[in-house]
Amino acid sequence: MHVIELMFGEPTEQSVTELLREVIDPELGINIVDLGLLRGVAIAPGGAVRIVTTLTTPACPLGPYITEQITDLLSQVTTISHVDVEVVWSPPWDPDRDMTDQAKQLLGWRG
Amino acid sequence: MTTAFDGRPVLRHVPRTRMALGTLGMIALLAGLWAALLMLGLDVPTPRPDFAEVHGPLMVLGFLGTLIALERAVAIDVAVGYLTPAAAGLGGLALILGLPLTVGQSLLAAAGVGLVGLYVAAARRQASLHLAVMAAGAVAWVVAVCLWLAGRDVALLVPWLAGFLVLTIAGERLELARVIRVTGTARATFTGAVAVFATGLAVSVVAVSAGVRVAGIGLLALAAWLGVHDVSRRTIRQPGLTRYMAACLLTGYGWLATGGALWLRFGTLSDGPAFDAMLHALFLGFVMSMVFAHAPVIVPAVFRAAVPYRRHFYAHVALLHASLLLRLVGGDLVGSRTAWQTGGVLNEIALLCFIAVTVTAVVQGRRHPRSALARRATRSLTAAASARAARS
Repeated sequence: MHVIELMFGEPTEQSVTELLREVIDPELGINIVDLGLLRGVAIAPGGAVRIVTTLTTPACPLGPYITEQITDLLSQVTTISHVDVEVVWSPPWDPDRDMTDQAKQLLGWRG
Repeated sequence: MTTAFDGRPVLRHVPRTRMALGTLGMIALLAGLWAALLMLGLDVPTPRPDFAEVHGPLMVLGFLGTLIALERAVAIDVAVGYLTPAAAGLGGLALILGLPLTVGQSLLAAAGVGLVGLYVAAARRQASLHLAVMAAGAVAWVVAVCLWLAGRDVALLVPWLAGFLVLTIAGERLELARVIRVTGTARATFTGAVAVFATGLAVSVVAVSAGVRVAGIGLLALAAWLGVHDVSRRTIRQPGLTRYMAACLLTGYGWLATGGALWLRFGTLSDGPAFDAMLHALFLGFVMSMVFAHAPVIVPAVFRAAVPYRRHFYAHVALLHASLLLRLVGGDLVGSRTAWQTGGVLNEIALLCFIAVTVTAVVQGRRHPRSALARRATRSLTAAASARAARS
Protein backbone atom coordinates (compact mmCIF):
# COMPACT_ATOMS: atom_id res chain seq x y z
CA MET A 1 0.00 0.00 0.00
CA HIS A 2 2.93 2.27 0.65
CA VAL A 3 3.86 1.76 -2.96
CA ILE A 4 0.73 3.66 -3.98
CA GLU A 5 1.78 6.48 -1.72
CA LEU A 6 5.37 6.58 -2.95
CA MET A 7 4.62 6.29 -6.64
CA PHE A 8 1.56 8.42 -6.90
CA GLY A 9 2.95 11.83 -5.99
CA GLU A 10 0.70 14.86 -6.12
CA PRO A 11 -2.63 13.89 -7.67
CA THR A 12 -3.30 15.15 -11.17
CA GLU A 13 -6.38 14.69 -13.29
CA GLN A 14 -4.45 12.22 -15.42
CA SER A 15 -2.98 10.18 -12.57
CA VAL A 16 -6.34 9.93 -10.80
CA THR A 17 -8.02 8.83 -14.04
CA GLU A 18 -5.32 6.22 -14.58
CA LEU A 19 -5.80 4.92 -11.04
CA LEU A 20 -9.56 4.71 -11.57
CA ARG A 21 -8.90 2.17 -14.34
CA GLU A 22 -8.51 -0.22 -11.43
CA VAL A 23 -12.22 0.09 -10.66
CA ILE A 24 -13.77 -2.61 -12.77
CA ASP A 25 -17.38 -3.48 -13.45
CA PRO A 26 -17.11 -7.11 -12.38
CA GLU A 27 -19.89 -8.33 -14.62
CA LEU A 28 -18.29 -6.93 -17.76
CA GLY A 29 -14.66 -7.17 -16.69
CA ILE A 30 -14.15 -3.63 -18.01
CA ASN A 31 -13.01 -0.60 -16.02
CA ILE A 32 -15.22 2.42 -15.43
CA VAL A 33 -12.98 4.72 -17.47
CA ASP A 34 -13.29 2.61 -20.63
CA LEU A 35 -17.01 2.12 -19.96
CA GLY A 36 -17.34 5.90 -20.05
CA LEU A 37 -18.89 6.18 -16.61
CA LEU A 38 -16.35 8.75 -15.43
CA ARG A 39 -17.65 12.25 -16.13
CA GLY A 40 -14.97 14.37 -14.50
CA VAL A 41 -12.05 14.62 -12.12
CA ALA A 42 -11.39 17.87 -10.25
CA ILE A 43 -8.52 18.43 -7.87
CA ALA A 44 -8.53 21.26 -5.38
CA PRO A 45 -5.36 22.67 -3.81
CA GLY A 46 -4.55 20.59 -0.77
CA GLY A 47 -5.39 17.31 -2.49
CA ALA A 48 -9.17 17.18 -2.23
CA VAL A 49 -10.42 15.14 -5.18
CA ARG A 50 -13.89 15.36 -6.62
CA ILE A 51 -15.07 12.61 -8.95
CA VAL A 52 -18.16 13.00 -11.07
CA THR A 53 -19.52 9.76 -12.39
CA THR A 54 -22.67 8.32 -13.85
CA LEU A 55 -24.10 4.82 -13.78
CA THR A 56 -25.77 2.82 -16.48
CA THR A 57 -29.19 3.12 -14.80
CA PRO A 58 -30.62 4.62 -11.57
CA ALA A 59 -31.69 1.19 -10.30
CA CYS A 60 -28.21 -0.16 -11.02
CA PRO A 61 -27.40 -2.56 -8.22
CA LEU A 62 -23.72 -2.01 -8.89
CA GLY A 63 -23.97 1.74 -8.34
CA PRO A 64 -23.11 1.78 -4.64
CA TYR A 65 -20.42 -0.87 -5.24
CA ILE A 66 -18.68 1.25 -7.85
CA THR A 67 -18.85 4.57 -5.98
CA GLU A 68 -17.58 2.78 -2.90
CA GLN A 69 -14.67 1.29 -4.83
CA ILE A 70 -13.72 4.73 -6.13
CA THR A 71 -13.72 6.20 -2.62
CA ASP A 72 -11.94 3.20 -1.16
CA LEU A 73 -9.19 3.22 -3.77
CA LEU A 74 -8.51 6.96 -3.75
CA SER A 75 -8.54 7.19 0.02
CA GLN A 76 -5.57 4.81 0.03
CA VAL A 77 -3.48 7.59 -1.50
CA THR A 78 -2.05 9.81 1.23
CA THR A 79 -1.57 12.78 -1.09
CA ILE A 80 -5.34 12.79 -1.57
CA SER A 81 -6.82 14.49 1.47
CA HIS A 82 -10.48 14.05 0.70
CA VAL A 83 -12.57 12.13 -1.83
CA ASP A 84 -15.99 13.24 -2.92
CA VAL A 85 -17.94 11.17 -5.44
CA GLU A 86 -20.95 12.68 -7.12
CA VAL A 87 -23.29 10.60 -9.26
CA VAL A 88 -25.02 12.50 -12.06
CA TRP A 89 -27.82 11.30 -14.33
CA SER A 90 -27.72 13.90 -17.04
CA PRO A 91 -26.87 13.35 -19.80
CA PRO A 92 -27.81 9.66 -19.53
CA TRP A 93 -25.04 7.16 -20.18
CA ASP A 94 -24.94 6.30 -23.87
CA PRO A 95 -22.79 3.27 -24.66
CA ASP A 96 -22.16 4.29 -28.26
CA ARG A 97 -20.98 7.76 -27.32
CA ASP A 98 -19.34 7.08 -23.96
CA MET A 99 -17.51 3.76 -24.24
CA THR A 100 -13.96 3.73 -25.57
CA ASP A 101 -13.10 1.75 -28.68
CA GLN A 102 -11.22 -0.71 -26.50
CA ALA A 103 -14.33 -1.44 -24.43
CA LYS A 104 -16.46 -1.78 -27.57
CA GLN A 105 -13.94 -4.19 -29.04
CA LEU A 106 -13.96 -6.32 -25.88
CA LEU A 107 -17.75 -6.43 -26.01
CA GLY A 108 -17.74 -7.46 -29.65
CA TRP A 109 -19.02 -4.29 -31.34
CA ARG A 110 -18.48 -4.36 -35.05
CA GLY A 111 -18.24 -1.48 -37.46
CA MET B 1 -11.63 -1.00 12.94
CA THR B 2 -8.86 -0.80 10.39
CA THR B 3 -7.18 2.47 9.55
CA ALA B 4 -5.38 3.65 6.45
CA PHE B 5 -1.74 4.60 6.88
CA ASP B 6 -2.68 8.22 7.48
CA GLY B 7 -4.94 7.12 10.31
CA ARG B 8 -8.30 7.62 8.60
CA PRO B 9 -10.82 4.89 9.27
CA VAL B 10 -11.30 2.71 6.21
CA LEU B 11 -14.06 0.38 7.36
CA ARG B 12 -17.05 2.61 7.24
CA HIS B 13 -20.17 2.09 9.21
CA VAL B 14 -22.52 -0.48 7.73
CA PRO B 15 -26.01 0.78 8.51
CA ARG B 16 -27.60 -1.57 10.98
CA THR B 17 -30.85 -1.32 9.05
CA ARG B 18 -29.30 -3.11 6.07
CA MET B 19 -27.87 -5.86 8.23
CA ALA B 20 -31.20 -6.29 10.04
CA LEU B 21 -33.12 -6.46 6.75
CA GLY B 22 -30.61 -8.90 5.29
CA THR B 23 -31.04 -11.04 8.39
CA LEU B 24 -34.83 -11.07 7.93
CA GLY B 25 -34.27 -12.30 4.37
CA MET B 26 -31.95 -15.04 5.63
CA ILE B 27 -34.48 -16.15 8.26
CA ALA B 28 -37.11 -16.46 5.52
CA LEU B 29 -34.67 -18.52 3.44
CA LEU B 30 -33.89 -20.91 6.28
CA ALA B 31 -37.56 -21.32 7.21
CA GLY B 32 -38.42 -21.75 3.53
CA LEU B 33 -35.83 -24.51 3.23
CA TRP B 34 -37.25 -26.20 6.33
CA ALA B 35 -40.72 -26.09 4.81
CA ALA B 36 -39.22 -27.64 1.67
CA LEU B 37 -38.00 -30.64 3.69
CA LEU B 38 -41.62 -31.18 4.72
CA MET B 39 -42.73 -30.93 1.10
CA LEU B 40 -40.15 -33.55 0.19
CA GLY B 41 -41.97 -35.84 2.60
CA LEU B 42 -39.07 -36.09 5.05
CA ASP B 43 -39.72 -36.92 8.65
CA VAL B 44 -38.68 -33.63 10.24
CA PRO B 45 -40.46 -31.77 13.06
CA THR B 46 -42.98 -29.18 11.90
CA PRO B 47 -44.08 -26.09 13.80
CA ARG B 48 -47.61 -26.41 12.36
CA PRO B 49 -49.40 -29.00 10.22
CA ASP B 50 -49.73 -26.56 7.31
CA PHE B 51 -46.20 -25.09 7.55
CA ALA B 52 -45.12 -26.58 4.21
CA GLU B 53 -47.64 -24.36 2.41
CA VAL B 54 -45.64 -21.19 3.08
CA HIS B 55 -42.54 -22.57 1.30
CA GLY B 56 -43.18 -20.74 -1.99
CA PRO B 57 -44.13 -17.32 -0.57
CA LEU B 58 -41.23 -17.50 1.90
CA MET B 59 -38.64 -18.31 -0.76
CA VAL B 60 -39.88 -15.87 -3.41
CA LEU B 61 -41.16 -12.94 -1.32
CA GLY B 62 -39.72 -13.39 2.17
CA PHE B 63 -36.21 -14.21 0.98
CA LEU B 64 -35.70 -12.95 -2.59
CA GLY B 65 -38.35 -10.22 -2.29
CA THR B 66 -36.73 -8.75 0.81
CA LEU B 67 -33.25 -8.83 -0.73
CA ILE B 68 -34.33 -7.44 -4.12
CA ALA B 69 -36.27 -4.65 -2.39
CA LEU B 70 -33.24 -3.94 -0.19
CA GLU B 71 -31.02 -3.77 -3.27
CA ARG B 72 -33.36 -1.24 -4.88
CA ALA B 73 -33.64 0.78 -1.66
CA VAL B 74 -29.84 1.00 -1.51
CA ALA B 75 -29.70 2.11 -5.17
CA ILE B 76 -32.41 4.77 -4.67
CA ASP B 77 -30.85 5.75 -1.33
CA VAL B 78 -33.85 7.47 0.27
CA ALA B 79 -34.59 6.54 3.91
CA VAL B 80 -38.30 5.84 3.33
CA GLY B 81 -37.31 3.32 0.63
CA TYR B 82 -36.14 0.90 3.32
CA LEU B 83 -39.75 0.46 4.49
CA THR B 84 -40.24 -1.76 1.42
CA PRO B 85 -37.72 -4.48 2.33
CA ALA B 86 -38.79 -4.07 5.97
CA ALA B 87 -42.43 -4.86 5.08
CA ALA B 88 -41.32 -7.84 2.98
CA GLY B 89 -39.04 -9.19 5.70
CA LEU B 90 -41.64 -8.73 8.43
CA GLY B 91 -44.28 -10.29 6.18
CA GLY B 92 -42.04 -13.33 5.88
CA LEU B 93 -41.55 -13.39 9.64
CA ALA B 94 -45.33 -13.23 10.19
CA LEU B 95 -45.74 -16.30 7.95
CA ILE B 96 -43.05 -18.17 9.87
CA LEU B 97 -44.50 -17.31 13.28
CA GLY B 98 -47.96 -18.44 12.25
CA LEU B 99 -49.65 -15.09 12.89
CA PRO B 100 -53.07 -14.77 11.25
CA LEU B 101 -52.40 -15.24 7.53
CA THR B 102 -53.78 -11.81 6.63
CA VAL B 103 -51.04 -10.13 8.69
CA GLY B 104 -48.26 -11.63 6.58
CA GLN B 105 -50.23 -11.21 3.37
CA SER B 106 -50.97 -7.53 4.08
CA LEU B 107 -47.31 -6.77 4.88
CA LEU B 108 -46.23 -8.54 1.68
CA ALA B 109 -48.85 -6.67 -0.35
CA ALA B 110 -47.59 -3.37 1.09
CA ALA B 111 -44.02 -4.37 0.23
CA GLY B 112 -45.02 -5.12 -3.38
CA VAL B 113 -46.62 -1.69 -3.68
CA GLY B 114 -43.52 -0.17 -2.09
CA LEU B 115 -41.32 -1.86 -4.69
CA VAL B 116 -43.43 -0.38 -7.48
CA GLY B 117 -42.84 2.98 -5.73
CA LEU B 118 -39.07 2.45 -5.73
CA TYR B 119 -39.12 1.85 -9.49
CA VAL B 120 -41.23 4.97 -9.99
CA ALA B 121 -38.60 6.90 -8.02
CA ALA B 122 -35.87 5.45 -10.25
CA ALA B 123 -37.83 6.25 -13.40
CA ARG B 124 -38.18 9.88 -12.28
CA ARG B 125 -34.39 10.08 -12.41
CA GLN B 126 -34.16 8.36 -15.77
CA ALA B 127 -37.06 6.55 -17.41
CA SER B 128 -36.40 3.50 -19.57
CA LEU B 129 -37.88 0.30 -20.96
CA HIS B 130 -35.83 -1.90 -18.64
CA LEU B 131 -37.14 -0.05 -15.56
CA ALA B 132 -40.69 -0.48 -16.85
CA VAL B 133 -40.11 -4.24 -17.18
CA MET B 134 -38.72 -4.48 -13.64
CA ALA B 135 -41.68 -2.43 -12.36
CA ALA B 136 -44.00 -4.88 -14.14
CA GLY B 137 -42.26 -7.58 -12.09
CA ALA B 138 -43.15 -5.68 -8.90
CA VAL B 139 -46.75 -5.43 -10.13
CA ALA B 140 -46.76 -9.23 -10.57
CA TRP B 141 -45.71 -9.49 -6.90
CA VAL B 142 -48.69 -7.30 -5.90
CA VAL B 143 -51.08 -9.37 -8.03
CA ALA B 144 -49.76 -12.61 -6.50
CA VAL B 145 -50.42 -11.40 -2.96
CA CYS B 146 -53.82 -9.93 -3.88
CA LEU B 147 -54.89 -13.31 -5.32
CA TRP B 148 -53.68 -14.93 -2.11
CA LEU B 149 -55.61 -12.41 0.00
CA ALA B 150 -58.66 -13.18 -2.11
CA GLY B 151 -58.38 -16.80 -0.98
CA ARG B 152 -56.68 -18.43 -3.95
CA ASP B 153 -54.57 -21.49 -3.32
CA VAL B 154 -50.80 -20.86 -3.13
CA ALA B 155 -50.23 -23.04 -6.24
CA LEU B 156 -52.35 -20.64 -8.29
CA LEU B 157 -50.02 -17.77 -7.34
CA VAL B 158 -47.05 -19.51 -8.96
CA PRO B 159 -47.27 -17.81 -12.38
CA TRP B 160 -47.30 -14.39 -10.70
CA LEU B 161 -44.50 -15.21 -8.28
CA ALA B 162 -42.52 -16.39 -11.31
CA GLY B 163 -43.56 -13.18 -13.05
CA PHE B 164 -42.02 -11.09 -10.29
CA LEU B 165 -38.63 -12.80 -10.56
CA VAL B 166 -38.52 -13.37 -14.32
CA LEU B 167 -39.47 -9.78 -15.18
CA THR B 168 -37.06 -8.35 -12.59
CA ILE B 169 -34.20 -10.39 -14.02
CA ALA B 170 -35.20 -9.79 -17.65
CA GLY B 171 -35.24 -6.03 -17.05
CA GLU B 172 -31.78 -6.16 -15.54
CA ARG B 173 -30.41 -8.17 -18.45
CA LEU B 174 -31.96 -5.79 -20.99
CA GLU B 175 -30.28 -2.93 -19.19
CA LEU B 176 -26.90 -4.63 -19.36
CA ALA B 177 -27.40 -5.72 -22.97
CA ARG B 178 -27.12 -2.05 -23.95
CA VAL B 179 -23.34 -2.41 -23.73
CA ILE B 180 -23.37 -4.74 -26.73
CA ARG B 181 -25.56 -2.42 -28.78
CA VAL B 182 -29.13 -3.65 -28.71
CA THR B 183 -30.79 -2.79 -32.00
CA GLY B 184 -34.38 -1.63 -32.43
CA THR B 185 -35.31 -5.09 -33.66
CA ALA B 186 -33.77 -6.72 -30.58
CA ARG B 187 -35.68 -4.37 -28.28
CA ALA B 188 -38.87 -5.15 -30.18
CA THR B 189 -38.37 -8.93 -29.87
CA PHE B 190 -37.60 -8.52 -26.16
CA THR B 191 -40.79 -6.52 -25.65
CA GLY B 192 -42.72 -9.14 -27.62
CA ALA B 193 -41.39 -11.97 -25.43
CA VAL B 194 -42.28 -10.05 -22.25
CA ALA B 195 -45.75 -9.28 -23.63
CA VAL B 196 -46.42 -12.97 -24.40
CA PHE B 197 -45.25 -13.96 -20.90
CA ALA B 198 -47.38 -11.26 -19.23
CA THR B 199 -50.41 -12.27 -21.31
CA GLY B 200 -49.94 -15.83 -20.10
CA LEU B 201 -49.94 -14.65 -16.48
CA ALA B 202 -53.16 -12.70 -16.98
CA VAL B 203 -54.89 -15.60 -18.77
CA SER B 204 -53.82 -18.03 -16.00
CA VAL B 205 -56.19 -16.27 -13.56
CA VAL B 206 -59.22 -17.40 -15.56
CA ALA B 207 -57.90 -20.36 -17.57
CA VAL B 208 -55.01 -22.04 -15.78
CA SER B 209 -53.83 -24.43 -18.44
CA ALA B 210 -53.97 -22.03 -21.38
CA GLY B 211 -52.38 -19.22 -19.34
CA VAL B 212 -49.49 -21.34 -18.07
CA ARG B 213 -48.81 -22.62 -21.59
CA VAL B 214 -48.76 -19.12 -23.08
CA ALA B 215 -46.47 -17.98 -20.23
CA GLY B 216 -44.24 -20.97 -21.11
CA ILE B 217 -43.95 -19.69 -24.68
CA GLY B 218 -42.96 -16.32 -23.22
CA LEU B 219 -40.29 -17.98 -21.06
CA LEU B 220 -38.90 -19.85 -24.07
CA ALA B 221 -38.82 -16.64 -26.09
CA LEU B 222 -37.02 -14.81 -23.28
CA ALA B 223 -34.49 -17.64 -22.96
CA ALA B 224 -33.85 -17.48 -26.70
CA TRP B 225 -33.47 -13.70 -26.57
CA LEU B 226 -31.01 -13.92 -23.69
CA GLY B 227 -29.11 -16.70 -25.44
CA VAL B 228 -28.62 -14.43 -28.44
CA HIS B 229 -28.28 -10.96 -26.92
CA ASP B 230 -27.02 -11.36 -23.37
CA VAL B 231 -23.60 -9.94 -22.61
CA SER B 232 -22.54 -13.17 -20.87
CA ARG B 233 -21.86 -14.73 -24.29
CA ARG B 234 -19.03 -12.21 -24.62
CA THR B 235 -17.90 -12.02 -21.00
CA ILE B 236 -17.49 -15.81 -20.71
CA ARG B 237 -14.13 -15.23 -22.43
CA GLN B 238 -12.91 -12.98 -19.62
CA PRO B 239 -11.08 -14.40 -16.59
CA GLY B 240 -12.00 -14.77 -12.92
CA LEU B 241 -15.19 -13.38 -11.44
CA THR B 242 -16.46 -12.09 -14.79
CA ARG B 243 -16.25 -15.58 -16.29
CA TYR B 244 -17.82 -17.15 -13.20
CA MET B 245 -20.79 -14.78 -13.48
CA ALA B 246 -21.17 -15.49 -17.20
CA ALA B 247 -21.03 -19.25 -16.58
CA CYS B 248 -23.79 -18.98 -13.95
CA LEU B 249 -25.90 -16.82 -16.25
CA LEU B 250 -25.59 -19.06 -19.31
CA THR B 251 -26.44 -22.24 -17.39
CA GLY B 252 -29.33 -20.32 -15.82
CA TYR B 253 -30.69 -19.50 -19.29
CA GLY B 254 -30.56 -23.22 -20.07
CA TRP B 255 -32.85 -23.84 -17.09
CA LEU B 256 -35.09 -20.94 -18.13
CA ALA B 257 -35.57 -22.64 -21.50
CA THR B 258 -36.16 -25.99 -19.77
CA GLY B 259 -38.73 -24.35 -17.48
CA GLY B 260 -40.45 -22.70 -20.44
CA ALA B 261 -40.64 -26.02 -22.30
CA LEU B 262 -42.11 -27.73 -19.22
CA TRP B 263 -44.69 -24.94 -18.70
CA LEU B 264 -45.69 -25.26 -22.35
CA ARG B 265 -45.82 -29.06 -22.30
CA PHE B 266 -47.72 -29.58 -19.04
CA GLY B 267 -49.64 -26.33 -18.41
CA THR B 268 -50.67 -27.36 -14.92
CA LEU B 269 -50.66 -25.89 -11.43
CA SER B 270 -51.66 -29.10 -9.69
CA ASP B 271 -49.31 -31.00 -7.38
CA GLY B 272 -47.32 -33.78 -8.96
CA PRO B 273 -44.00 -34.55 -10.66
CA ALA B 274 -44.71 -32.26 -13.64
CA PHE B 275 -45.48 -29.31 -11.37
CA ASP B 276 -42.36 -30.01 -9.27
CA ALA B 277 -40.20 -29.97 -12.41
CA MET B 278 -41.91 -26.85 -13.82
CA LEU B 279 -41.36 -24.95 -10.59
CA HIS B 280 -37.82 -25.95 -9.79
CA ALA B 281 -36.32 -25.71 -13.27
CA LEU B 282 -37.39 -22.07 -13.12
CA PHE B 283 -36.99 -21.05 -9.47
CA LEU B 284 -33.91 -23.12 -8.61
CA GLY B 285 -32.23 -23.63 -11.98
CA PHE B 286 -32.80 -20.18 -13.44
CA VAL B 287 -33.38 -17.82 -10.51
CA MET B 288 -30.80 -19.29 -8.14
CA SER B 289 -28.19 -19.24 -10.91
CA MET B 290 -28.81 -15.51 -11.22
CA VAL B 291 -28.46 -15.15 -7.43
CA PHE B 292 -25.21 -17.16 -7.40
CA ALA B 293 -23.87 -15.03 -10.25
CA HIS B 294 -24.58 -11.69 -8.66
CA ALA B 295 -23.98 -12.31 -4.96
CA PRO B 296 -20.24 -11.46 -5.20
CA VAL B 297 -21.14 -7.96 -6.40
CA ILE B 298 -24.52 -7.33 -4.75
CA VAL B 299 -23.37 -8.32 -1.26
CA PRO B 300 -20.52 -5.77 -1.27
CA ALA B 301 -22.87 -3.11 -2.65
CA VAL B 302 -25.50 -3.66 0.02
CA PHE B 303 -23.48 -4.72 3.04
CA ARG B 304 -20.18 -2.95 2.31
CA ALA B 305 -18.19 -6.10 2.74
CA ALA B 306 -15.94 -7.56 0.09
CA VAL B 307 -16.74 -10.99 -1.32
CA PRO B 308 -13.44 -11.78 -3.03
CA TYR B 309 -13.87 -14.23 -5.89
CA ARG B 310 -12.65 -17.75 -5.23
CA ARG B 311 -12.51 -20.63 -7.70
CA HIS B 312 -14.40 -22.84 -5.29
CA PHE B 313 -17.52 -20.71 -5.95
CA TYR B 314 -18.02 -23.12 -8.86
CA ALA B 315 -18.55 -25.99 -6.39
CA HIS B 316 -21.98 -24.92 -5.11
CA VAL B 317 -22.99 -24.00 -8.65
CA ALA B 318 -22.08 -27.48 -9.90
CA LEU B 319 -23.84 -29.10 -6.96
CA LEU B 320 -27.03 -27.14 -7.63
CA HIS B 321 -27.16 -28.13 -11.29
CA ALA B 322 -26.25 -31.78 -10.68
CA SER B 323 -28.77 -32.18 -7.84
CA LEU B 324 -31.47 -30.46 -9.88
CA LEU B 325 -30.87 -32.86 -12.75
CA LEU B 326 -31.14 -35.76 -10.31
CA ARG B 327 -34.40 -34.40 -8.93
CA LEU B 328 -35.99 -33.65 -12.30
CA VAL B 329 -34.75 -36.64 -14.31
CA GLY B 330 -34.37 -39.35 -11.65
CA GLY B 331 -37.27 -38.13 -9.53
CA ASP B 332 -39.90 -36.33 -11.61
CA LEU B 333 -39.30 -38.06 -14.96
CA VAL B 334 -38.30 -41.62 -14.00
CA GLY B 335 -40.37 -41.61 -10.83
CA SER B 336 -37.79 -42.63 -8.23
CA ARG B 337 -38.86 -41.19 -4.89
CA THR B 338 -35.32 -41.66 -3.53
CA ALA B 339 -33.81 -39.68 -6.41
CA TRP B 340 -36.41 -36.96 -5.93
CA GLN B 341 -35.78 -36.66 -2.20
CA THR B 342 -32.00 -36.94 -2.52
CA GLY B 343 -31.98 -34.35 -5.29
CA GLY B 344 -34.18 -32.05 -3.21
CA VAL B 345 -32.00 -32.33 -0.12
CA LEU B 346 -28.86 -31.76 -2.22
CA ASN B 347 -30.55 -28.68 -3.75
CA GLU B 348 -30.85 -27.35 -0.21
CA ILE B 349 -27.26 -28.23 0.60
CA ALA B 350 -26.13 -26.33 -2.52
CA LEU B 351 -28.01 -23.24 -1.29
CA LEU B 352 -26.60 -23.60 2.21
CA CYS B 353 -23.07 -24.00 0.82
CA PHE B 354 -23.60 -20.83 -1.18
CA ILE B 355 -24.76 -18.98 1.95
CA ALA B 356 -21.83 -20.35 3.98
CA VAL B 357 -19.28 -19.41 1.29
CA THR B 358 -20.76 -15.91 0.96
CA VAL B 359 -20.99 -15.26 4.70
CA THR B 360 -17.43 -16.54 5.20
CA ALA B 361 -16.17 -14.27 2.45
CA VAL B 362 -18.04 -11.32 4.01
CA VAL B 363 -16.54 -11.99 7.44
CA GLN B 364 -13.05 -12.29 5.96
CA GLY B 365 -13.63 -9.28 3.73
CA ARG B 366 -14.68 -7.15 6.68
CA ARG B 367 -11.52 -8.14 8.50
CA HIS B 368 -9.35 -7.17 5.54
CA PRO B 369 -11.37 -4.51 3.75
CA ARG B 370 -10.46 -3.44 0.23
CA SER B 371 -7.19 -5.32 0.28
CA ALA B 372 -7.75 -6.94 -3.11
CA LEU B 373 -8.37 -3.64 -4.89
CA ALA B 374 -5.41 -1.98 -3.19
CA ARG B 375 -3.16 -4.91 -4.07
CA ARG B 376 -4.24 -4.78 -7.70
CA ALA B 377 -3.71 -1.02 -7.82
CA THR B 378 -0.27 -1.42 -6.30
CA ARG B 379 0.63 -4.07 -8.87
CA SER B 380 -0.40 -1.97 -11.83
CA LEU B 381 1.27 1.17 -10.49
CA THR B 382 4.45 -0.81 -10.01
CA ALA B 383 4.16 -2.15 -13.56
CA ALA B 384 3.59 1.37 -14.92
CA ALA B 385 6.63 2.68 -13.03
CA SER B 386 8.81 -0.17 -14.33
CA ALA B 387 7.65 0.59 -17.86
CA ARG B 388 8.52 4.27 -17.39
CA ALA B 389 11.92 3.34 -15.94
CA ALA B 390 12.59 1.00 -18.88
CA ARG B 391 11.74 3.77 -21.37
CA SER B 392 14.00 6.39 -19.76
